[in-house]
Amino acid sequence: MGNENNVNPNPTITFEAETFRRIQPEEYLRKFVQQHVRPDGCITTADGSSMVRIGNTTIVCGIKAEVSEPKLNFPKEGYLVPNIDLSPICSPRFKPGPPSEQAQILSENLNKLLKNPKVIDLETLCIQEGKAAWVLFADIVCVNYDGNIFDACVMALISALADVKLPKAVYEDGLVKATEEKIIALSFIRTPYSISFAMFDGKHLLADPNEMEESIIKSAITIAIDETGQLCNIWKVGTSCTPEQLRTCISKARDRYVDITSIIEKARQAT
Amino acid sequence: MADRRRIQGPEVTVTPIIIKSSDKKKLLLKDVNGRRRDGRNLEDIRPIFLKTGLISQANGSAYVELRQTKIACGVYGPRQTKVASFSGKGNLNCEIKFAPFSCLKRRQPYRDAQEKELSHLVFEALAPSIRLDLLPKSTIDVFISVLENDGTASCLAAAITCASVAVADAGIEMLDQVASCSASYIDGDIYMDSDLLEEQRETGSIVLSYMPSLNEVTHILQSGEVEISQTTQAIEQCTDACSKIYSIMNHSLLESVKDKMQ
Repeated sequence: MGNENNVNPNPTITFEAETFRRIQPEEYLRKFVQQHVRPDGCITTADGSSMVRIGNTTIVCGIKAEVSEPKLNFPKEGYLVPNIDLSPICSPRFKPGPPSEQAQILSENLNKLLKNPKVIDLETLCIQEGKAAWVLFADIVCVNYDGNIFDACVMALISALADVKLPKAVYEDGLVKATEEKIIALSFIRTPYSISFAMFDGKHLLADPNEMEESIIKSAITIAIDETGQLCNIWKVGTSCTPEQLRTCISKARDRYVDITSIIEKARQAT
Repeated sequence: MADRRRIQGPEVTVTPIIIKSSDKKKLLLKDVNGRRRDGRNLEDIRPIFLKTGLISQANGSAYVELRQTKIACGVYGPRQTKVASFSGKGNLNCEIKFAPFSCLKRRQPYRDAQEKELSHLVFEALAPSIRLDLLPKSTIDVFISVLENDGTASCLAAAITCASVAVADAGIEMLDQVASCSASYIDGDIYMDSDLLEEQRETGSIVLSYMPSLNEVTHILQSGEVEISQTTQAIEQCTDACSKIYSIMNHSLLESVKDKMQ
């Protein structure tokens, strides 16, 4: 399923794996990261969908469009409702039932990333001012949990949103009628991606931490940036870090952003 | 009451009314040569993609795709049963979950009655094949996630097949693998492995779960008004189809063993 892009290390230099990990933890991890992105219509029942794999972490995002009345204080705006489901299928840590605390935090962070600064122009989702607007339910399902869920979720969500095609809709006598063919794409204000780092022993920065690393580290930094290199959000949890470390993270994140966009663009063209 | 644990949209949402172009005739399920919309004969099943071991965190897992139908299954266990009471026999816990975007209309994220019913049917179909008597005080959790649903009966059949392969992938002792297949009765014909559109026009349906090596049926579910002779024929066709599915299941397990050896 999907296409595969191996990020090859420089073939002329050879190290012992352990040496490589110590001097270039980022490249070391990147070497193991296989990116599978499939931002096309892989789910035909959804109005937009995508599948993302980072290493073993697998995320599927599907977007369903429905219609509702706009909010009274924002009569021209539609809705975008992101939710993350960490189902028990993806890891022995999760139990069936209502969303765990972690899933709630992830959903809330994702919502923040979409709302402030704005990613989608919600006014384009309006069908009739004060009467009807599109509601985009973005449901993200984790199929395999192997760390760095948030980055994968953001990638899946943005790719799925870019894949959304809405029908032309009109509001007539209290009813919304839509055409059969779906043609209208969403208008993006910016395209943010998040890049996560884990800090080990207070000095080693590990990019794209996996499940094992996440379980032992004491501090984690997630940086969301857009295509102009502007910072959208920063989340830092755990023990303190120095301003230099934060600066390193931001500059690495900018490099990584270029990689992510090129991989997603490649996947989009392949379909 | 609003669910505070999820990001909430507006309280009431509806799907818009689709304006259909008027010149469209009623879609025929089969043409004059007896071929279905996707070129299959009535007794053909859809091509199957089946792969094991995609969920690294699970003890066993499988992913199955029958054209649009997409299902992932993860098996956890055998692990210790949480309840304190002693049980000489292992527990089998099956749960099927539809992703909110998997059906034509959006499903609510919490568990509904249909999911409970289907979960129970998966349990009924799988339980006779697993040596639960060898696993006292333990639980096997079988979690099934439906990513896309193209016909509920065929979805259930695919879920049972997928779950059985995932249990085998987890190395749990079984008598045999369970292959499952569905069929719809439409206008006096038997449509094997029907998709959503065919299912919407059916007068009845059958789902058969079968252990081909032992030649034993573990579960059978029929609904609708059907003549006995037709049911007998449908059962025969389903067992044939199950044998074909069985060879695919074996092949995918062999492939996963080969991968592990390398």
